[in-house]
Parts: sequence; structure tokens; C-alpha cells
Amino acid sequence: MNIQTPIKNTPAELALIDAFGERLALLPGDGEVMLKRDAAIEAIKAGLPTRRIESWHYTDLRRLLTKVPAFDAGLEAKPVAPLIEGSPVLTVLNGVAGKPVAIEGVTATPVAEKLGDGTYAPALGAQGADDAIGALNSAFVADGWLLEIADGTVLEKPVEVQNVQAGGQVHTRFAAKIGNGVTATIVERQTGSGDALVSSVDNVVIGDGSEVTWLIVQEQPDTATHFGQFNAWIGKDAKFTLFVMNAGGKLVRQEIRVVTKGEGSDFQLRGVDLLHGDTHTDVTMVLDHAVPNTGSREIIRNVVTGKARGVFQGRINVHQVAQKTDAKMACNTLLLSDDGEFSTKPELEIFADDVACGHGATVTEIDHAHLFYLMARGIDEKTARGLLVKAFVAEVIEELEDEALVEALEARLDGWFAEHG
Amino acid sequence: MLEIKNLHARIADEGTEIIRGLNLTVAKGEVAAIMGPNGSGKSTLSYILAGREDYEVTEGDILFNGESILEMDPAERAASGIFLAFQYPMEIPGVATMEFLKVAMNAQRKARGEEPLKVPELLKKVKDAAGTLQMDMGMLKRPLNVGFSGGEKKRAEILQMKLLEPKLCVMDETDSGLDIDALKIVSDGVNALRSPDRAIVVITHYQRLLEHIVPDSVHVLYKGQIIKSGDKSLALDLEANGYAGVIGEAA
Amino acid sequence: MPAVQETIDQVRQIDVDQYKYGFETEIAVDKAPKGLSEDIIRFISAKKNEPDWMLEWRLDAYRRWLTMEEPTWARVEYPKIDFQDIFYYAAPKNQSGPKSLDEVDPELLRTYEKLGIPLKEQEILAGVKKAAPAESVDDEDADAANDNVYKSGRVAVDAVFDSVSVVTTFKKELAKAGVIFCSISEAIREHPELVKKYLGSVVPVSDNFYATLNSAVFTDGSFVFVPKGVRCPMELSTYFRINEKGTGQFERTLIIAEEGAYVSYLEGCTAPQRDENQLHAAVVELIALDDAEIKYSTVQNWYPGDAEGKGGVYNFVTKRGDCRGDRSTISWTQVETGSAITWKYPSCILRGDDSQGNFYSIAVSNGYQQIDSGTKMLHLGKNTKSRIISKGIAAGFSQNTYRGQVSAHRKATNARNFTNCDSLLIGDNCGAHTVPYMEAKNSTAQFEHEATTSKISEDQKFYVMQRGIPEEEAIALIVNGFVKDVIQELPMEFAVEAQKLIGISLEGSVG
Repeated sequence: MNIQTPIKNTPAELALIDAFGERLALLPGDGEVMLKRDAAIEAIKAGLPTRRIESWHYTDLRRLLTKVPAFDAGLEAKPVAPLIEGSPVLTVLNGVAGKPVAIEGVTATPVAEKLGDGTYAPALGAQGADDAIGALNSAFVADGWLLEIADGTVLEKPVEVQNVQAGGQVHTRFAAKIGNGVTATIVERQTGSGDALVSSVDNVVIGDGSEVTWLIVQEQPDTATHFGQFNAWIGKDAKFTLFVMNAGGKLVRQEIRVVTKGEGSDFQLRGVDLLHGDTHTDVTMVLDHAVPNTGSREIIRNVVTGKARGVFQGRINVHQVAQKTDAKMACNTLLLSDDGEFSTKPELEIFADDVACGHGATVTEIDHAHLFYLMARGIDEKTARGLLVKAFVAEVIEELEDEALVEALEARLDGWFAEHG
Repeated sequence: MLEIKNLHARIADEGTEIIRGLNLTVAKGEVAAIMGPNGSGKSTLSYILAGREDYEVTEGDILFNGESILEMDPAERAASGIFLAFQYPMEIPGVATMEFLKVAMNAQRKARGEEPLKVPELLKKVKDAAGTLQMDMGMLKRPLNVGFSGGEKKRAEILQMKLLEPKLCVMDETDSGLDIDALKIVSDGVNALRSPDRAIVVITHYQRLLEHIVPDSVHVLYKGQIIKSGDKSLALDLEANGYAGVIGEAA
Repeated sequence: MPAVQETIDQVRQIDVDQYKYGFETEIAVDKAPKGLSEDIIRFISAKKNEPDWMLEWRLDAYRRWLTMEEPTWARVEYPKIDFQDIFYYAAPKNQSGPKSLDEVDPELLRTYEKLGIPLKEQEILAGVKKAAPAESVDDEDADAANDNVYKSGRVAVDAVFDSVSVVTTFKKELAKAGVIFCSISEAIREHPELVKKYLGSVVPVSDNFYATLNSAVFTDGSFVFVPKGVRCPMELSTYFRINEKGTGQFERTLIIAEEGAYVSYLEGCTAPQRDENQLHAAVVELIALDDAEIKYSTVQNWYPGDAEGKGGVYNFVTKRGDCRGDRSTISWTQVETGSAITWKYPSCILRGDDSQGNFYSIAVSNGYQQIDSGTKMLHLGKNTKSRIISKGIAAGFSQNTYRGQVSAHRKATNARNFTNCDSLLIGDNCGAHTVPYMEAKNSTAQFEHEATTSKISEDQKFYVMQRGIPEEEAIALIVNGFVKDVIQELPMEFAVEAQKLIGISLEGSVG
């Protein structure tokens, strides 16, 4: 009974395998890059993860991924207005990097070039058997941007990278090598108008003493499947803030994998998930405190409406050497609909004893006392509810120090509430 | 009773020297006040006397009744009769104050080779002591220091001091966070413990406490050394003129 | 706490002497041949004079078990178990079922006496006052409180030795109140209608690998039936002892509280020291009908293995309560200090409206112990409440995992859960892990979860030691404070025992 029979691939898996055969000749890179792509598609052939794989417990990809669109080079995607007016914008439109833009202290290179000359090969490949997003992206990635930010650079304006799809399949990478003593904000937009399957992987290395904020604003249409993976390694005494907003997509999985590599480093995660319709959104974070004296705070706020299903999995690993780790995680959910669902699994894996770690999670409806208070002041129920729900997520946004970012994000929030609230 | 000889001590982790050649002698029956500006090493001195591991003695010695205590752990020092009233008493969740008193009293009795106290005897002692400090028995059922006000915590410290009957009491900034009524109760509690067999070291920033607990000697601690000693008039002088004059003299 | 060499040395020294229940009783036994097959199951069933339907039930479970695989999701590691290398039945000779006390082998009585379990009813009557924790001064009224808890001053005991129940005390008196308290073997023979109705109704035959194995080979355990409106007049308890070498213990416990009934049940376990691992795979099912309440407390102290992690009991247990009736309550309280490996998730199915489930747990691991334990609270009915308080303490080289699931079904309007799980680490060679799953499918559900992991604060330890309390005692005092919320859920007599046990379990863990 223990004999492993070869798996019978699902139609989606078969579509991916076929697409790989067809795309192969068009994908940049050969040699090592091609070997990595081959290995990655083998992982897909072995089957997409099911709920039996612990890290996919609430997102049975094998069951949920039913549609795989074909590549369509003929589609046209248009850049969107940047979140902050006047930001330099580097685009990837329907999977192809646009023209480079000159930014002082920043060297931007299309990933297609790096794949073509083979220097990007080491960054490809899945990180472990459960890394379906890494595998999918490694197999198909065709373009994106590599940002190299020189030591000591202070960026006045955020740099915005855009991945805009128009349908079909899009597999993109945004990588950043951020030097020492850098102050920078990067805005990443994931959006478009088509019925697409998107994978987008970020690899970000943050140098010693740098202060970096990275925002991912995901606003895919309700027809798109979006797989994001964000990997970061934080250097000594560096402070890194990641802000993730999910406000769209039919099937979304956003992975966040962060390692504190240098002593004295600090990681902040702020997440806002606005879920509506018949959609499925999964945010899964794995944070490794790998050296002594590092800190982290994660705050995730979720609003669930309609028939939406939301998931947050957050695991904090504190390695044996990582004494004096100070890690706190909170996940709070407002479940506003009887047909909505939210599942959360906040995990602590702790191997060092001199630590202060904790997590809190709540799932609630709107506080009736607050609602009553507002209504007693003459505000009608619908407006009052709207105010309270918005305040619930705006709290997280307002923690960002940059006023312009806060305003811009609140405008996105208002847009979402106007449409779905 | 207490002799501190050329004591040098530093923070064990990082090596910063806090106590730099401190000398101090306190006799049986004496009440000695140690005063000094913030950061002079007052609290550190109290921790070192009680045996906190975070500090490392690099030179000199501390003799208690003629014997060095440097090799003793905090519990052994306590059993030998050294009591520290903490500036910030720790909260011990889940451990009722009464239970804590029982365990502490009996641990010390055991170290001295005495029989543990019987429950009725213990209850009586605690009731009597608590009464003089105007503490109600309800408080003793609560977990030690958890949710106690500043004044309640300090009273609980004095209660422990009364019950454990130490030979040397070290009081670290006992007046901080006390209103005038609580200060009176606490001071009366300390004064009641004055005896020819017991020495008391009062560490304080302000002269205020010394109006209630009148010292026999006053020592000024600055940068880890005693830079001036005198009688209670020294405290009044400090109150009137500040530390600057004394520090200037010493420099 | 820094890992000074001393700590490591002291942990190494935790030797078998500290496990005071590690002795072996020399007694003649009846054993089934080693291994598992349909014949062995027929043998067990025949030994117990079971009716045919029971044998068929077992065989059905066995056939299903053959198609199942061992679960691997828990955070525990152990070599593959050879299920053919275990004795599935061992019973003291001439002891095919519980007898009256006079007939019990004196050697057995002495064993239980050594374990501190009084079986002679007279002794229990006389002995309880002596055992009352008069030392406690928590409360001036402690003595009075004791009297309240043990108004009757009696505990009825079912003693299970290896595969069989050797004696059950106070049966007659309980019967007067209408309470049935006997071994499950006896219940199968004497009360088949009740067993048929409820056995496997909470933990289905093919629930999980170990539960299915248990369903096939269970040898004994306790049966409790408290009829409508009856408040069980005394605490009931079962005392499990694995004695025989190479023997698995597969007990089955079934407790039914009818409408408005109340029962408090205690369970204790020990085993001799052995170099090889012994398997213990129990199934416990609780059923509470309308307005009924069941309190189930466990002090688990199976042999944990030696300082090198050799030997010890594998404790793979399925415990589940079904709040079948409206306004029913089931509370699990556990103090887990023993076993090499613990895999255990006492759970509540909150089916009845306004029903309530509680889980209070202390899990202490030291040496090379591995614990993966927690609970499931499944909210199905309206206005259901659950409360989870879990305190994990890891020392030595142990791994201590809390794994819990709280879910609210679509129809579970106003479901409420509060979870608090705190872990304490002593030394830096151990691990503490928290894996909660929260699943809300109802917008009126309110779940609150909080978890912390820390070490004993140096400030606290210094403060306590400054009052003259030596280091080990200081740690034990702080740890006992840490677990207080759970301890106070235990019946008084167990509470005192549990506190001592936690102290003993942590001995040698500090440097």
C-alpha cells in the first residue's frame, strides 16, 4: 500500500506543462538557466500542493487552480498612474520590461538581460518542495527589473515598479540589491485588466544600516489569479518595512519570506487585505530570526465581505543562536458577511530561550458599542459601519511615516470601499 | 557588620565599570544613608550587595560579619541575613503573597537548620506584621505585587523585611513613588526595625526620606565612589546646596 | 538563561532515580502471543467473554486499520514502530476481570499502595483527611475549601493493570445513586445496550490511525454512566499502570452523562522504567446530554525515558468529548509531565446550543521528551463557548508544541472562543512551538487568541532568591505561578500532587 503511483496531473497542471513545451524556445537564457527551468517544471509535474502540505493547508492549489490561460504576446497593457505623482516608474507590460528610466544612485536592468547572459541563474529555482510559486515562476519567468542601489543613496521619491497584465500568463521578477546606508522606498504595483495568471517573485537584499520601505499594492481584477512571493534578507542594523495591500484577484497567494541576517536588524510588516466577491486570498509569511538581537512586528488587518475566503498564516522561527529576539505578530479580522470565511494560523517556532515572542489573533464583527455610539450621534448605520471598517484598516496605513504614501493608500482604500463596501 | 573594601564592579555583559573603588563600613545598630545624583551607582551597589549576577566584582571585597560574601548566591546571602528592599519590586504572577511569604520564611529557616513554621503560627505572625503596616489580609491573597499600587508594593517590601528579620537591610529608593501618608507608614515600619543588632542602609536621592528615617551617617556616592561622609547634617547641606559643591570638593 | 556548562551537566544527571514510579511488579501474567492479527483479536475478545457484535466491531476496525498510515504531521520524531513486536494482551494470572477487593492478588494491592493509590475502601475513608493539603496557606479557608471539594472525602477508583481492570471500588455505593462505574469489559457484558449506543459515537472507528488500532485491540478501561438528573456522589478515577515488558496498553474509556447529570473524573498513569519504548494508545469518549457536565482531569506521568532519551512511553491518545445536548459542558484539564512522546488533543464537539467546552493544560517537557498536544474546539451549535488555557514549559533537550484548532461552523452564530497559550523556555537546547488554527465561517463568531513565549525573567528570579529561596525552588515557585490558572481547575487533591510533580519534572533543569 506504500507504493507511490505516478500522479495523475490535473487539467491545470497539464496546461502548464504544455505551455512550457510551447514557450521554451521563446524564454530567455540557456545553460544553467535552462537547467533550472527544467527542474522547476518537473516540480509542477509532481503535482501542485494540496491541503496535505502544511504550508498550503488553507489553499489547496491543486483543487483551486482550474484555469490556466495561454500566453498571448499580442495583448497590450498600459502603464498606470504612479501612486505618488512624479515617481520614476519602471514598467513590465504584459510580461515585457519597458524602457529604463534614469534614477540617481539606482541602476535598473531588465531581468530578461540577466537571464539571457545567465547571471540570473542562481536566483532561479524552488526553495523547497512546497514552493510552488518559486517553481512556477522559475520555469516561466521572462522579464522584470533588477534594481541595484548604491551605498549611501538617499531616494527623495519612491521608485515605482509596475507589473501590468492584459491577460494570458505573466511571470515576472523584481529584484533589488540595496547597498549599505541607503534610504529608499519602493512601490510595487500588481494590476491589469485581463483574465490572467500572474506570478511575480521579488528577491530583495538589504544592506547594513539601510532604511527601506517596500509597498506591494495588488489590485488585480476579479478574474485574475495572482501568485506573489516576496523574499528579503535584512542586513546589520537595517530597518525594513514591508507593506502589503491585497484588494483584488480571484485566487491570490502572497508569500512573504524574510530572514534577519544581520544583528540589530528590524522587520516591520503591515498588511491590509480587503476581500470581496467569490474570491480566495492567502497571505503566508515565514520569518526567520537567524541572528541575535533582532526585532519584528507584524500587523495584519483583514476585512471580509461577500463570499470571500481569507487566509493568513504567519510563522516566526527563532533560531537557537537568535537570543534576545523580540517578535510580535497580530492578525485581526472583521468578518462582515455570513458567507465569508477567514482562517488564520499564527505560529511560533522557538529554539532560543532568551526571547520575548508573542502573537495575537482575533476574528470579530464590528464592535456594537462603537456602532451604537456613532449612531447615537446621528450617523446612519451604513455610514457608521463604513467609518468603523475603514478606521480598522486605516490604522495600519497611518503607521507609515510618509504622508504622501498614507494619502495615496487611503485613496486606494476609499476606492475599494466605494466599489465593494 | 558590613565592610566594603576598595570595591570595583562592572556590568558583566559589556564591561562598563560602575563601582570604582568604593569603601564603606556600617556598624551594628547603625543607620547609614547613601545619597548621590542619578547614575552614581546607588542601585548598582544594592544589587551587588544582594548578589545579582549581571554585575561582576573585579577587585576588592564585601565582608558581612567579617566574612566575604562574594561567592554566595542571592539566596545564600538572604539566608545569612541580607535583605534588599527593591526600588521596583517584581511582580510574581500566580503566586499568592501569603504563599510567597511562607516559602521564603521557611526556606530561610531551613538554611539555618530550623523547623518550618506551622500554619497557625505563620498566619499569626503575618497578620500582626501586616496590621502595623495597615495592610489588609485580602491583599495577601493576591499574587505578589501583581496589580499592587506603588505604595502597596513598598508596603509589601517592608512586610517581608519585618517577617524575614534580616540583620542588614538595604533599602533602595524606598521613598520613590510614595505619597506622604504611605511614606509615613513605610518609615514607621523601618524605624520599628531599628535595633542594636541590625544595620540599615538607606539609599536615596532625596533628603525627604531622611526626615522620617533619621540616619546615623550619610555618605555621598558619585561615579562609583564614596566621595564624602558625614552625619545627618550632610544630608541637609546637600538638600540646600545640591551635589555640585560636594562633587567640586572631591574633584 | 544562558546555557552554562552546569545546566547541561545537571540535565544529564537527571537520572532514573527521579522517576519514583519506575519499579516493576513481579507477578505471574497471562499473555497473548506477540504481534497482531485477526487471531489475536479473537483471542482478546474470547478472553473477555465478549459477545459476537463486539468481536465483529473489533475485526472491522482491524481491517480498516490495515489500510491506514501513521500520521506524520505532529512535531515528534521516533523510529518506526513495529506493530508486530508488541504484546497486545497481558493480564495478571487468574485475573480475568475485576473482583471484590478480598480476591485481588496482594502483590497488586501493594503495587497500588506504593503508587499512592488507595484501593481499600476503608483506607480511603480513613486516609483522605491525612492527604488533605493542610500545608496550603493560600487561603485561610483552605481547609474549609477542601471539605467542600471532597464533601464525601471519597474517590472511587478503577485500577487498570496492563490490559485489564483489576478492581473497581465503591461500586455498590455508586449503584445506589444509579451511577454505573465499572470496567469497559464488564460494561460490554452487563450493559450492552449502552455500550452499543455510545461506543464509537464520538471517536468513529476509523477516526485516525491510533484510534482505529485501539478500536481493534482495546483491552480494558473504564465505563461511567450517570443517569438523568444525578450528580455523581464522589469523584471517579482510573489509575493506569503499564507493568509488563513489551506490552502495549490500549485502554478505552466511555463516559456518559445524561440530562442534567454531573460527574468529575480523574485519571492517573505510570509505568516502570524500561530501555525500550512502550506504546500507549488510548481512546476516551465523553458524551454530555442536555444540561449535563463532565469534568475530566488527567495527571499523566508515564515513564519519560532516561537522561539520554532512551526508553519511555509513546503516548498516542485520542480524547474527545461531545456536547451533544443543549447547555452541556465538558472540561478537559491535563497535567502532562511524563512520556517520551505525547500526541494528544482532547477536544470538544460543541453540538448543542449554548454548550461550552474548556481545555486547561500544563505540559512540562524535560530531557529528550517531545510533546505535541493541544485541543480542538468545534463550534457547531448556536451560542457555544470555548476556552483554552495552555501553559507549556520546555527544559533540557525537549520539544514542546501546542497545536490547537478552533472553528466556527456556518450555523454557529455567536460562537465565542478565548485562547491563551503561553510557553516558558528553560535553557537554550529546547524548543517551544505554538501552532494554532483558527477558522471562522460565521460573521457573529468572536475568536480571541493570544500566545507568548519567554524565559523566566532574571529579574523575577533574582527577586525571589533575594528572599532566601534557593534557585531550583525559586524556579519551581515561578513556574507554579505561571501554571496557576490551570492548577486551580484541578480537584484540590490532584492540584497539590500536580504542583509537586511539576517541581520534580523540572529538577536539574537549571544551572
